[in-house]
Amino acid sequence: MSHWRSLAAAALLSILAASSSVAQDGRRVSVTGEISDTWCSISGLMFAKGTAHHQCAVWCALGGIPVSIRDATGDLYLILRIGDDEDSVANPRIARMATHEVTVDGELLERDGVKYLLVDKIADDKGIITMTHDEYGIQPFGN
Amino acid sequence: MGFGIGTLAVLVPVAAPAAEPWGIPHEKPLVLKGRLVDALCHLKGRCAPDCGAGKRQLGLVLADGTFRLIAKGNVDFAAAIPDLIGFCGKAIEADGLLIENPAITLFFVQGVRTEGNAEPFVPAERFKAEWEARNGKAEEWWRADPQANRIIAEDGPLGIKGLVPKPKP
Repeated sequence: MSHWRSLAAAALLSILAASSSVAQDGRRVSVTGEISDTWCSISGLMFAKGTAHHQCAVWCALGGIPVSIRDATGDLYLILRIGDDEDSVANPRIARMATHEVTVDGELLERDGVKYLLVDKIADDKGIITMTHDEYGIQPFGN
Repeated sequence: MGFGIGTLAVLVPVAAPAAEPWGIPHEKPLVLKGRLVDALCHLKGRCAPDCGAGKRQLGLVLADGTFRLIAKGNVDFAAAIPDLIGFCGKAIEADGLLIENPAITLFFVQGVRTEGNAEPFVPAERFKAEWEARNGKAEEWWRADPQANRIIAEDGPLGIKGLVPKPKP
């Protein structure tokens, strides 16, 4: 077997080894809310909304912490894909939208206490609309 | 506080059989045993070589089929992808905190080892070592990160061009 065929076979085996999945079809949804990292959203260690949290949310997103959309009810929708972009770790495109208020269309997969969102389209991006810095400063360190 | 656990990137195993509580609402220290997979592959069948080679979120499939996404490691502001990616498709044990928040259920890992291994857990702190290998030493990786600094320089720390924080009294 040639070197290239060996490499291709190894890559295929690598995918198969990791892919005994329970792939499912989700349901179509439109979700509106603020983009934020899941760590700050659920840790309760800092104020994780709006302008006060923007810088921290950028850091967390680039650190690879999963990014979610928090809707008006407080539910979190964890983003695994945006369009054709399947990089959900430290993706600068996602980090740039930290604390933006967005509406997205996509597919929702609910599994074991998590709402996973496969975004097809960002229907609206209002930028940051929640002004929290006057009250909370810059979280979590004040600068 | 649980926020600032791992500022030193130490990759030697330590005897830490139980995760340290971080004071997070709904946290439960425990060891998860399962097979490490790429979340998008497992949930949707969209697979990539080597579990996405560090570019995709990862989780554990437990023996009963439960899937637990691993959202954070021991380094401030960072996930545990560098600690986990080498185990793609393999059975591991992960020592950490299960957070069963009504809004979302996630696992924050503090140490990992191959399943059945009697060795101590290896602290989930590789992020900092790998970041420093790329960018040089820094007390706080997040303030020295070139990509983060580019984004914050463009839009400001509050995320809106021209909007500046009030001067401290």
